[in-house]
Amino acid sequence: MTKLLVQDVSRRYGAVQALDRVSLTIEAGRVHALMGENGAGKSTLIRLLAGLEAPDKGFLSIDGARLHDTNAQMMRQAGLRFIHQELHAVQGLSVAENMHLDHPYPTRLGLVHWGKLNQNAAQALGRLGLSHLDPRAPMSALGLGDQMLVRIAATLIRSDGAAPWLYVMDEPTAALTVQETDRLFAVIDGLVAQGAGILYVSHRMPEVMQLADQVSVLRDGRHVSTRALADTDERTIIEEMTGRPVSDLFPTKQAIDPQAPHVLTVDGLKAGPVKEARFSLRAGEVLGVAGLAGSGRGGLLRALIGDTPVEAGSARLHNKELGTSAADGWANGVAYVPRERRAQGLMLRRSITENITLPHLSALSRAGAFLDRGRHRRLVDRLNKHVGIKATSMHQSCHELSGGNQQKVLFARALAGDVQLLLLDEPTRGVDVGAKADLYGLIQQMSDTGLAVIIASSDLPELLGLAHRIAIMRDSTLAEIVDADGLTEADLLARFYHVDDGKAAA
Amino acid sequence: MISFLRRFSGLVGMLAVIAFFAINLPDTFLTLRNWLNIAQQVSMLTVIAATMTVVMVMGDFDLSVGSMASLAGVVAATLFVQDWSIASALAAAIMVGLAGGLFNGFIVSVLGILPFVATLATLTIFSGLAFFISDGRTVFGRDIPDAFGDFARQGPEIGMIGERALILPNLVIVAFVVVFVIWVVLEQTSFGRRLYAIGGNREASKLAGIKVVRLRLIAFAFTGVGAALAGLMYASRVASANPTQGDGLMLTAIAAVFLGMTLTRDGQPRVLATLAGVITLGVLDNGLTQMRVDSYVREILVGAIILAAVGFSAVGRGSLMRGPN
Repeated sequence: MTKLLVQDVSRRYGAVQALDRVSLTIEAGRVHALMGENGAGKSTLIRLLAGLEAPDKGFLSIDGARLHDTNAQMMRQAGLRFIHQELHAVQGLSVAENMHLDHPYPTRLGLVHWGKLNQNAAQALGRLGLSHLDPRAPMSALGLGDQMLVRIAATLIRSDGAAPWLYVMDEPTAALTVQETDRLFAVIDGLVAQGAGILYVSHRMPEVMQLADQVSVLRDGRHVSTRALADTDERTIIEEMTGRPVSDLFPTKQAIDPQAPHVLTVDGLKAGPVKEARFSLRAGEVLGVAGLAGSGRGGLLRALIGDTPVEAGSARLHNKELGTSAADGWANGVAYVPRERRAQGLMLRRSITENITLPHLSALSRAGAFLDRGRHRRLVDRLNKHVGIKATSMHQSCHELSGGNQQKVLFARALAGDVQLLLLDEPTRGVDVGAKADLYGLIQQMSDTGLAVIIASSDLPELLGLAHRIAIMRDSTLAEIVDADGLTEADLLARFYHVDDGKAAA
Repeated sequence: MISFLRRFSGLVGMLAVIAFFAINLPDTFLTLRNWLNIAQQVSMLTVIAATMTVVMVMGDFDLSVGSMASLAGVVAATLFVQDWSIASALAAAIMVGLAGGLFNGFIVSVLGILPFVATLATLTIFSGLAFFISDGRTVFGRDIPDAFGDFARQGPEIGMIGERALILPNLVIVAFVVVFVIWVVLEQTSFGRRLYAIGGNREASKLAGIKVVRLRLIAFAFTGVGAALAGLMYASRVASANPTQGDGLMLTAIAAVFLGMTLTRDGQPRVLATLAGVITLGVLDNGLTQMRVDSYVREILVGAIILAAVGFSAVGRGSLMRGPN
């Protein structure tokens, strides 16, 4: 079995010791999970393995042969391949052409041999059980998940150098749906069965528990532990990552006051991707929205903020019809944290202050139109005491913040106005454990102050840990609402697929 | 030090240009009269570039401003010929600018056509309209009321040099007022900050409750009015109107906004930076003309200087022309 040895590697950037004498052994034929919070040194380690950086001290070796003056070309030749969450696919080209982006196209008489090109692609796809993907289809016709699988299959196309034996996957599932993730895992199993090793970097505990043979934890640039999965558990890993005992990731749920008024009443709502939804929500209640990807989970939230036009039925907040645009939504006391914080949430190149005040500019202005910068600053400072964004100042540009802190900016934005209903779509996606716990704490505090909260999430433990009740979306319809007490992930999954054993909906 | 250089390199470059001309043209360049002259020369460009900034903060363009300027001039002149009063003819020309701007805004914002394509089309339409209305002829001489032509030549006296009175040209005052109004709108009102937000991330702005469609429409209307105003200023200055006289303004205005963007800390368009960009172009033109540089060579030099400034800044920041992310 091929082995990659990372030996006493250190790397410093300015004043930051990103890696401090880290040693790891990664073997072919197994899945090695690498975990750690943001800033733990995972990204630096990946950059070293990719040959993009050289270690200050220590070295890498493969099967006892020490690698000197590593560069990207050398690591490729040595059989390492890198799969990132952000794909660099060319949407306009075919699947087969995308698979040949870093291989020479097969030619005949100096011209592209299209038949051979498609055949190579089909063979590589077939080896991963992806024969259903057509090499001639345009890349843009595929979902993100399939695009990633295509990228993985592309590494199997033979070119010079050693066959790939180690795949470094950096948060590969961050943008994938549940089904896409399942297909990725099947492909990973296939790769491992064919003898490849995987270095799997992820924040997502359930994935690691499902996939990994071994788990290594980094914290503050240091190696904390490497254990076989059987010798560790979620709690241990989280404690090793954060360096402090976690009493519990989730705060204790407060019971809903049965006398609390109904804040939101949704009656036969049909809007955009949502065919029908009917429910009501009390002040202080947290409702989870669960379902398979494409079931209309996020669509329900988009309808409630007003971004999709209502075709039938109604949604009323305190007996006032919700409006027909997101502008109406915010004006009526609805706050929304969208699913894609980079694409839909933040102005990445703008300051924290600008991002937080965006929906509230009118309310914060003088004479209805003129900016009052002092008021902006005071509001943002007050909110930041509450949400705790780690930044040099509130003028810092959001693209420099970690995912968790970016999410806190969006939470601060949501809390800035007079909020009655808070809509959260995948609130902790791609956020590390420490920030996750902070966000959960915030959600809890908000519901304590009488806000009604709706959380759509693919993270089932999160829904079970936070929500009082969980609404199940099936085929774009809100099929049932169940009490979260005593519910398990398996129960939820069964309900997603409608393998109901006759239990009545609560 | 490096970051200081990067941050202020544009400003340093501007001062270097001024110093260069001051040394080479010691008797004429740094005089008040020359600077008033430059100010008058760039006043139309200032108005167009300032209103162009309004759409560019949203990441949009308006390529039709030059032909709108021509059209507005031609409309006013044609109405003068038909004995309209000056005020009503000017109002009508401004209304044409407003209508054209709203039309641009409608096809870009409501219909969703890319601004580059949409305003390229309206550039041609406005230009064709200007030719159609004027029948391709220049309106000049007795057809233009004296009061209209004199406006550009007159202005309050601000001093005497020897026997000659020094006046602050009216056109400069108009340009100054326009820049001030746009500065207030963009930097001091929530309306302006929303336009910047749209430029920062349009989808996120929409989901955060910004009325993106309406604001883009209004911003394009703003730019249309600015273009018409600049066209009228131009017509007043030359006391005539023809269907091509505004054509050169559009590219220069965009160049001025880009030059200005190299001066701002975050690489965003800002109206005062645009003004600095306009002045830089005006100074270059004035200085090179006084040094009797051939006008063709002058164009090559100005183009190369714009490229150098924007290129230097782009290298410093990674990319100037980046998308919302």
